[in-house]
Amino acid sequence: MPQQLIKVRPTKIELVKLKRRLSLAERVQKILKDRLSILTMEFLQATRETVEAKRKLVDVFSKAYKALSIATGYHGYIAMEKELIATEADLKIVAGLRNIAGVRIPSFELMGGEKSMRGYNLIDTSSWLDHAAQLSERCLEAIVELAELQRGLELLGMEINRTKRITNALEYIIIPGLQVTIKYLNMKFEERDREEKGRLKRVKMLVAGG
Amino acid sequence: MPNGLPYERMLQECLRGEFRLVNAGLPRNQKTLSDLLHEEYPHTVCSDGSTHLFKRRELEYLASIVNVTEQEALLLPMIIELGENQAEAAVMCQGETEEKVISKILDMPVTCEQGRIRIYKPQLALLRKILKTTTQYVFSPKVVA
Repeated sequence: MPQQLIKVRPTKIELVKLKRRLSLAERVQKILKDRLSILTMEFLQATRETVEAKRKLVDVFSKAYKALSIATGYHGYIAMEKELIATEADLKIVAGLRNIAGVRIPSFELMGGEKSMRGYNLIDTSSWLDHAAQLSERCLEAIVELAELQRGLELLGMEINRTKRITNALEYIIIPGLQVTIKYLNMKFEERDREEKGRLKRVKMLVAGG
Repeated sequence: MPNGLPYERMLQECLRGEFRLVNAGLPRNQKTLSDLLHEEYPHTVCSDGSTHLFKRRELEYLASIVNVTEQEALLLPMIIELGENQAEAAVMCQGETEEKVISKILDMPVTCEQGRIRIYKPQLALLRKILKTTTQYVFSPKVVA
């Protein structure tokens, strides 16, 4: 693609300014490229982890449903419902932010590990229900983990897009435009020098002839 | 295309803005591992005023690989400086504790030279995978000079 010349007055001062602008643009490009490479690395890492977390979530959920079905079959639907009424509890999740190369990513942590007392009657219930409850807790952990990863992935993706657009603008429009203009000004000055030399020679000849 | 001074100012602002953005997550002060383990919500304040939350799981993992004296010496988050060479990065270290932690995570011996442990990109990915909240990137201006 032919690069567009920047409209400037052909003076030495403008050339110095353009050179300064070029070096500045190259510095911006360098830092953006570094950032892009870090963001891409983090994005790929997050993608791998998200796939793994999704697989884990599906696996844990299928196990939990299976365990719950067995427990319901063992105790009966009404008895199960009666026991599970008392098990409702508030979740405690610590939410914060972490910063990856300028991108603020949410960070969640489920508080309170495995509980020994879950609220239902331990005498009237079997170990099937314990097992189902244990798996349900693991489901919650998997949901929180996936939520964090998924949101992080989205934010990283958006930032990569934005950074890539700026990098491309610098790489394909701004920097080549500046380089072409600098080259054009250099050629113009050389041409001016040549003209000046030719004019001087002609004046010299005229003086010598006269 | 805009001409003259405003254009130059725009590029300068862009550069400054990028530095500000990428280094916004830098902590105002680092805390020791033992201090963080005693906090209810382990966190530190970043240079832009936001809060950086540490995951307790990571802190407990670090506590499991260093002894009590080293817990007092290990400053978190560990700072990863991105070098001139895009293929490598440097972990800033104060003493032998960081060296021990990193060599344990990477499962290879590492050496600290002039306060920095040099690691390559694949190793950086591995380090970040394990220590997500206890490490932080820094883009140094001299890198792009």
